[in-house]
Amino acid sequence: MATTFEIRKKQRSGIAIFKWSLLTPFFLLLLFLLPVFLLQIYFSFHSWSVYLSTWWEADFVGFDTFAEVLSDERFHWSILRSLIFASASTAGCFVVGFGLALLMYRPFKGHGVYYVFFILPMLTVPVVIAYTFEMLLYQKGPVNGILSALLGTDINVIWLAHPTMAVITVILLEIWNWTPFTFIIMLAGLSALPEELNEAARILGASRWRIFREIHLPLLRPVIFLAVILRFLEAIGEFPKTWALLQGGPGSATETIPVYLFMTTWDYFQISKGAAMSYLVMIVMILIVLSAIRILMHEKKNLDEMYQAKETGE
Amino acid sequence: MSRQTKKKLYTLFRFTALGIWFCIVAFPVYWIVATSFKPDHEWFAWPPVYWSATPTMDNYKSVWTSYTKTLATQEAESMQKPWIALQNSLIISLVATTITVFFGTLLAYGVSRYRILSEVRMFNLLMFRMIPPIVVAVPISIYYSNIGLIDTVTGLAIIYIITTLPYAVWMTKSFIDEVPIEIEQAAAILGASKWRTIGEVIFPLVRSGVVATFLFILILTWSEYLMALILTKTDVVTLPIQLAKYEGATEGRVYGRQAALAVGITIPLVVIGCLIRKHLVRGFSFGMVKKR
Repeated sequence: MATTFEIRKKQRSGIAIFKWSLLTPFFLLLLFLLPVFLLQIYFSFHSWSVYLSTWWEADFVGFDTFAEVLSDERFHWSILRSLIFASASTAGCFVVGFGLALLMYRPFKGHGVYYVFFILPMLTVPVVIAYTFEMLLYQKGPVNGILSALLGTDINVIWLAHPTMAVITVILLEIWNWTPFTFIIMLAGLSALPEELNEAARILGASRWRIFREIHLPLLRPVIFLAVILRFLEAIGEFPKTWALLQGGPGSATETIPVYLFMTTWDYFQISKGAAMSYLVMIVMILIVLSAIRILMHEKKNLDEMYQAKETGE
Repeated sequence: MSRQTKKKLYTLFRFTALGIWFCIVAFPVYWIVATSFKPDHEWFAWPPVYWSATPTMDNYKSVWTSYTKTLATQEAESMQKPWIALQNSLIISLVATTITVFFGTLLAYGVSRYRILSEVRMFNLLMFRMIPPIVVAVPISIYYSNIGLIDTVTGLAIIYIITTLPYAVWMTKSFIDEVPIEIEQAAAILGASKWRTIGEVIFPLVRSGVVATFLFILILTWSEYLMALILTKTDVVTLPIQLAKYEGATEGRVYGRQAALAVGITIPLVVIGCLIRKHLVRGFSFGMVKKR
């Protein structure tokens, strides 16, 4: 019958319109952002800094700026520092967060109070954290005071002014700030574990450690990957705390990629160099993210299956 | 060792470990609250003053009632406008969050029910959000100064909408996914239009989820620092930026005032966070991990 066919056709076009109208805001935002990427390409290939006249009259220099960035030793160091910072803080966050989650996933009295307190750092404004720790960590400050009192000797750690210590301080700060992130993810993962397997294994006489290693860990794999990868990517981009606390100093000890990028552009006004540098960082980050996507997509499938199995099982 | 002693030892270990971390988390929080009540001479005192013998509200007063005579000479004019910063922060984060959550929910609905973007594509878009925002900061600031959006509330709000949209989409999607599709089919059979189905069937069912998403995004926009630092100059100051301005020319950082303002900024976030503590994990893991 022609009429049903027409109705169906109408319905289908109605759905198409509906779909596109849901997508419009998204495309508008992409359109809004498009010039940003064009500008980035432009500035990478043209030499411009704010001391020159208008930006659209800048000289075309081809790959010169890229070459300059690639041979810039400070840039190399910033990459190394970022990697050290991100890996160390991710490892720290994960170990502490997972440990806490393991201690907490079976409810006990006062569970809720601990939970609320443990998520506090994550809810605090990063800049506030930076300034709080500045108040805590100066040489004649409360942290050294407490450590001296606890250990009975005079502790005089130079938290902020010594290059190596400053890096450690920044890493510890990141761990303090973002342990809640791994904690809540691991806690949720642990409480989603199927109880029956546990019981079965215990009846068969498996030790606690063996249950943990051979049942829990494999099941938790997707959650672990998720927590570690997301945390690592976030840590690479960490800026507010490092900047507000140390501005890349002492010397250039805490100059991570974001900090160095910021300084190049807004302190030295080398716009082109900043653009080229961000371009390079962006490409590397895209590669990293692409591989992260591959891993996570795979793990996410496992995770969804686990939730589904749990829902149908109950 | 008998089973019982083992158990007791484990409990002892558990509470020591939890207690240690509790102190590590609580001490800085305590310190900033304590500092906000300290009079000037106790900020840098040695040995450190753990709780002021003469607590004072002066810090709060001088932060929020814009001008004090004692500090007028040392402090810059710009630090005397926390109310403007508060107003800007409120407008920017509320407006940006509302728009983000509105469009985010619609997009999430489309993805969940009509597959307007495949899951893989959605996931890719999300992960590209994980590229540090600083890599686009340079062109954005130039772009903004050319189209007149730099140092405006609108400009900052737009950036926040873009950066938080992925979070909103994924978080609401995880809530919408939980609504059985049969309900919509029933609504369609009863003759409800698609928009009406969203507004009157789906939305009421996921309302608490949408509210949780709203509050979660509010936390993100309220505490954002980098973009606010880059895209504002003098007119628009948000609270995190305002916080950095408490530097006296002669006396270093004005810790007490800074602490007072910091406490004010943080309290709303802590309250919100505790309200949605069950959903936080969903937000931060983009709806991939759920808590039950």
